[in-house]
Amino acid sequence: MTNAGKNSREKTMAPSSSSGLTFKLHPLVMLNISDHFTRVKTQLNPPASSCSTGNVPSNADAVFLQNPRVYGCVIGLQKGRTVEIFNSFELIFDPIADNLDRSFVEKKQELYKKVFPDFYILGWYSTGCDATKSDMHIHKALMDINESPIYVLLNPAINHAQKDLPVTIYESEFHVIDGIPQPIFVHTSYTIETVEAERISVDHVAHLKPSDGGSAATQLTAHLTGIHSAIKMLNSRIRVLYQYLAAMHKGDISCENSLLRQVSSLLRSLPAAVSKKFHDDFLMEYNDKLLMSYLAMLTNCASNMNEMVDKFNVAYERNSRRGGRTAFM
Amino acid sequence: MEGSSTIARKTWELENNILTVNTPDSASDNIFYYDDTSQSKFQQEKPWETDPHYFKRVKISALALLKMVVHARSGGTIEIMGLMQGKTDGDAIIVMDAFALPVEGTETRVNAQADAYEYMVEYSQTNKLAGRLENVVGWYHSHPGYGCWLSGIDVSTQRLNQQHQEPFLAVVIDPTRTVSAGKVEIGAFRTYSEGYKPPDEPVSEYQTIPLNKIEDFGVHCKQYYSLDITYFKSSLDSHFLDLLWNKYWVNIFSSSPLLGNGDYVAGQISDLAEKLEQAENHLAHSRFGGIVPLHRKKEDESQVLTKITRDSSKITVEQVHGLMSQVIKDVLFNSVRQSNKSPTDSLDSEPLITS
Repeated sequence: MTNAGKNSREKTMAPSSSSGLTFKLHPLVMLNISDHFTRVKTQLNPPASSCSTGNVPSNADAVFLQNPRVYGCVIGLQKGRTVEIFNSFELIFDPIADNLDRSFVEKKQELYKKVFPDFYILGWYSTGCDATKSDMHIHKALMDINESPIYVLLNPAINHAQKDLPVTIYESEFHVIDGIPQPIFVHTSYTIETVEAERISVDHVAHLKPSDGGSAATQLTAHLTGIHSAIKMLNSRIRVLYQYLAAMHKGDISCENSLLRQVSSLLRSLPAAVSKKFHDDFLMEYNDKLLMSYLAMLTNCASNMNEMVDKFNVAYERNSRRGGRTAFM
Repeated sequence: MEGSSTIARKTWELENNILTVNTPDSASDNIFYYDDTSQSKFQQEKPWETDPHYFKRVKISALALLKMVVHARSGGTIEIMGLMQGKTDGDAIIVMDAFALPVEGTETRVNAQADAYEYMVEYSQTNKLAGRLENVVGWYHSHPGYGCWLSGIDVSTQRLNQQHQEPFLAVVIDPTRTVSAGKVEIGAFRTYSEGYKPPDEPVSEYQTIPLNKIEDFGVHCKQYYSLDITYFKSSLDSHFLDLLWNKYWVNIFSSSPLLGNGDYVAGQISDLAEKLEQAENHLAHSRFGGIVPLHRKKEDESQVLTKITRDSSKITVEQVHGLMSQVIKDVLFNSVRQSNKSPTDSLDSEPLITS
């Protein structure tokens, strides 16, 4: 990165936002962006089997082909101070002329309004490592659709050592730089929001669970394995906290009071629910499930008995067609 | 920590003979490449006209699956429908993406798609501009709560589609059962043309059909066949999905499938009760019938009873799983006590269910 690039980067970003909005991101958006990127990348680099007319691209082109930048819009809802990003769609952007295809945006918006009448355009997305100065142009262009759009940046580089999602959300704020109020990007935090159905399908594709029922034992194993891995995660997180606190106690790390307060409030919130009402409801639900399994067992028994009686009758049949006792095998 | 959980997963996968698709690398991302020439060549050849059973497999992308399931669930108890885009590959249909159609109540008329033609055309055009070059290869709709199969109207719609828009695929999703069972309920089908008698095929996976729909199911179940479904994802997708798990694990503790699906379970149980009553009446009548040979009657009854038993076990197993999660959560979060207080009883209970 050249010096000029670095400077422009510094001018366009600030570490944290102060707008007080909470952002919730749905995994569908991430998969959408990743799919868009993969498609564009594979179309630009056709697989070796199909014949491609082409001279060997020069170095700069090769880099571009490896990681093309894609652009799109994100749509969702804003309720009060919570912004929830549900879905996204692609945009046509002309990097040379540096402008957005407005009619396309409007057409797409209309189409999505028909199916999801509650959603509206919240901002836009792109792929890359960092926000650049040119991104501000697009951001400003979108400001007339939504007065304070958000910019979702996705880093498509696969880095296996990374534990965090390579998605960052930026808002724009006016800061005074060199005496002129200029909009710059500020980092905001977000959480992943999901509905049960989304979680199940993500789980399904991520871990390729068996698609058919399997035996009861398989289902049980699958269910318990899921819970087991979740508990493992919880355990590892608690360990990290514990080691951190131990280090603080020994004096290796300086005491951070806000963190200590958070940990203390966390511990004080356990046990999570111990009222009498909870106890009663819990036992009632428990008894309901036991009743259900009892009924199922009864049905099972009745059906087995029925089968046994049938087999008995067949084996010891008195009224055979030949009239008289038949020798049974 | 990461190591032992992968070991546990691998052991489980091995024990259950799961064919693990190799972790996709950039080479397998080739599936995303749309080759116009080979697709149009395939369209002209039309190998499906000679063999009604031509397409045997379906490959659905992670994105398409997610979109379809979320759309189906957002409809609640109303059936929704949408279209799928993709391409063909030999005897497999590949679904790359899906989008929703602004149509409702698709079980009431044949070709509900006709309402949305304008939408479809506009959407396909804008998509092509944005770089999504695939064509429409099928439609999907939801059967909230009553299983993945084609109803009479669905069969007629699909037949119409297969006459005019080949290659075309029908996919059915049940979002209610998905959430209740914790695994995705989805089925992919193609119909036979009228009058074609399929050779006897192996019985597909059994599923419970509610009483009010069972007639519709039985009449038409021989007129279509189901295709195997596999899923694929790009290397970037799998990277994200792995990372997502780092955020998702909280949901296992924070959500409870029992609470969300109470209505559905109650409906299932009452449906089962009706089926039992019907079976009982059947049994009572046959006792005085007498003319029909005894053996055959016995077979029908025992079959009905076996089905009912299977249904009841399935419902119960799901409920017991939910209960297990609840008990585990209770032990985890409620039986912790401050060290200076005397320990009070926590809920100690071991479910003794072994079914």
